[in-house]
Amino acid sequence: MPRSLLNLSPRLRPVLFCAYLATQLTLMIRAHSSPDLVFGFQMFNASSELKISLFRKVRRRDRVRVVPVRDGAWETKDRNGTRRTYRWQDRIRYRNLANLDRFVHAAYGLDAQLFRLQFALDDFVSHLPGDQETEALIAEVDTLENGREAGHVRLQADRR
Amino acid sequence: MIAVRKAWRQIFGEEREAFVLGLLRLSISALLFFNGLRLVLEFSHNGYFADYFHIPLIPEQWLPDHSGYQLLLGAQALAAVCAFVGIWPRESLLAASSLGLYFLFCDRLQYHNNRYALLLLGFVLAFAPCDRSFLLVRGRRHTLPREHRIAPTFARRLFQIQVTLIYLGSTGGKLLDLDWRSGQVLFRRFAEAPAIAASQGFPLPTWVIEVLTSRWFASLAAKAAISSELFIALGIWLPRTRRLALWLGVVFHISIELGANVELFSWLMVTSYLAFVVPEVRERRFEYQAGNARAALLARIVALLDWCARFDRSSFVPGSERATFYVTNREGRRASGALGLAQLAEAIPLLFPLWLPLALYAKLTAKPRPAAASSA
Repeated sequence: MPRSLLNLSPRLRPVLFCAYLATQLTLMIRAHSSPDLVFGFQMFNASSELKISLFRKVRRRDRVRVVPVRDGAWETKDRNGTRRTYRWQDRIRYRNLANLDRFVHAAYGLDAQLFRLQFALDDFVSHLPGDQETEALIAEVDTLENGREAGHVRLQADRR
Repeated sequence: MIAVRKAWRQIFGEEREAFVLGLLRLSISALLFFNGLRLVLEFSHNGYFADYFHIPLIPEQWLPDHSGYQLLLGAQALAAVCAFVGIWPRESLLAASSLGLYFLFCDRLQYHNNRYALLLLGFVLAFAPCDRSFLLVRGRRHTLPREHRIAPTFARRLFQIQVTLIYLGSTGGKLLDLDWRSGQVLFRRFAEAPAIAASQGFPLPTWVIEVLTSRWFASLAAKAAISSELFIALGIWLPRTRRLALWLGVVFHISIELGANVELFSWLMVTSYLAFVVPEVRERRFEYQAGNARAALLARIVALLDWCARFDRSSFVPGSERATFYVTNREGRRASGALGLAQLAEAIPLLFPLWLPLALYAKLTAKPRPAAASSA
């Protein structure tokens, strides 16, 4: 008979069995309180859509203004006067959030994508080396929940 | 109390034939390899995932660095190949699935239910005796003798429970969602179908478009999908309904595969049904007339496709029987013709989708049995 470390003794079998099942059930129940339903086996996506428009909160001559980010990119000069380009899609490659200014499918539902979008904004503003102007990044999001207009959401990530 | 003890003993003390588990290992390790291959391709096209936006489910410092990730990707692919060919098959299966789970925890954006389900099923299968057959590395002697194939199969039960949990999780999510229950979600999907079909050069007939874009059809389809999943989840546990539940599952997943992009999910679930096959082998019989070309062809097909070793094959001399072939099922029912083919299809994985149509055809065309010669 083939020997394997995974041939568990009769005593260990119930331990593995119960531990595995308990973990699975806990994760499945917990998934319902998670915005992206992770570990929940929610197999079929909703038919919701979202449209993300990006804006920057910038400080120029001691005045704060909100300016739109066209095609996900902007240019600015760093401290040495060198022009630098910052592009949303360079850092955010996750397909559902990389597309801007047009409606795209919200995989796993609107809550999931809005939850991930906040992470994406936080991540992006923390990776803007040399940008002297941008104080915060704002996402204005139009949402359609399974075909119905579900309203407008505003998310913001401040630079620290 | 006695019932609990009996169930306990049945789960943890049960020793059954492990032949089919080898086939299950072969399929799951192939799927694990393709899942790993996707990660390798993503790595080569997009680079190291942690160099751009990601959301780890574990602390950031537990993530591998660039070269470490490369190494682990290679290790996962190697482990999947070893599990497939039968080199430390169970340990390799455990390594491939555990590494896959680790990668999933490294980036929440990588999470998809089908990937998670595959990794869990691979993990659980590693604890089942799936190393007794289909050890390809041993060549023609790929299957161990019968006495070595009888082994504790409690992990097979765990695997079966996991399959049920996947369906229950999916059904539960749909039942709790009003838009799903009412058909609104499917209505949106179906409404897009005519435009998609037309853009691909297959304009749909008007009546099909009318049906697809009607609310009643979406509502009906939603209820059918939910009840199908529920029936599959529970029906596979009852011997009386198992066959029908498995058949419905196969058809359900074929239709999903044709209509949606679900990566390896359909293949995974259909493969996982092997865990519900009665483990014992050669309990059915296939007899065919020697010298008859059609019967010989059928015998060759049976020999080629009988991956679960369901049939004991033998030939009979011409003239000794009326039909050219006979199939005897586990209950001892000997049949030829359409019913015989149905009995073949019910036990051969590749022909299984044909089982219900053949069985129904056989039932509808069956000649009524002649009345008893005398009732006196």
